[in-house]
Amino acid sequence: MNEPELGNKIRHLLNQGAPLDPRAAERLRAARELALARRKAEPASALAWAGGVIGRLGGLGGLSLRLLLPVALLGVALTTIYGWQQNQKVAEFADIDSQLLADDLPIDAYLDKGFDAWLRQHAAR
Amino acid sequence: MAQAARRALSAGARCLAALCGALAVALASSALAAPPQNKNPSWAQLTPQQREILAPLAGEWNKLEPVRKKKWLGVVKRYPKMTPIGKKRVQTRMRKWAELTPAQREEARKKYQRIDKLPPAKREALRQSWKEYESLPPQQRK
Repeated sequence: MNEPELGNKIRHLLNQGAPLDPRAAERLRAARELALARRKAEPASALAWAGGVIGRLGGLGGLSLRLLLPVALLGVALTTIYGWQQNQKVAEFADIDSQLLADDLPIDAYLDKGFDAWLRQHAAR
Repeated sequence: MAQAARRALSAGARCLAALCGALAVALASSALAAPPQNKNPSWAQLTPQQREILAPLAGEWNKLEPVRKKKWLGVVKRYPKMTPIGKKRVQTRMRKWAELTPAQREEARKKYQRIDKLPPAKREALRQSWKEYESLPPQQRK
């Protein structure tokens, strides 16, 4: 049986009402009035909504654990990834510098603007 | 509807938590696997072998930023595999290299990488050209 079917059946039963004798009905009515009189005032709706939200996230304790833990871990992960990238960059520079410094072209060959110009002239000739 | 959304949310949260957990384990294990190392070693804290190779930088080592120290220690690691002439060149050029501005080093690295990609014949021609250019009298080197 699916949900709407079950709901219909229950509604039908409720609409029929229960056959009660007048004394029992009177006792039930008195009890209901007593309960209503003793009921506390309803909390403000905004507070109720906030309570609902916090409750949904597992209460205030749950909020700190369920939300802050992943955020903290994400922060750690990002820091680690950044550090790893820096490491990669340093390793790459160490590689290039080692080769460049050991190469037979001296450093000046890479920085001498005159050499670039001379090369272009040379090639044009 | 709201129930389904909540279920999806909590499933997502569980998935995220699992992911975070796995990541934490990975991070912890990588941290344990890597030997603890000093990120900013002073000259005195280097090993005798490191000091010997980096001798040309002895004077300025303690003033270098941690990242540059790390880079030089990377060069030290690659040093034993170099040819004797390569080692000699590194020794004589190290100081000059460290004294360049970051922009100059960046430019030299880029040029080196471009030249490194050239076919061997072209690289050799470039070397010959440099020798020729170097032998010119200073006033012609413009």
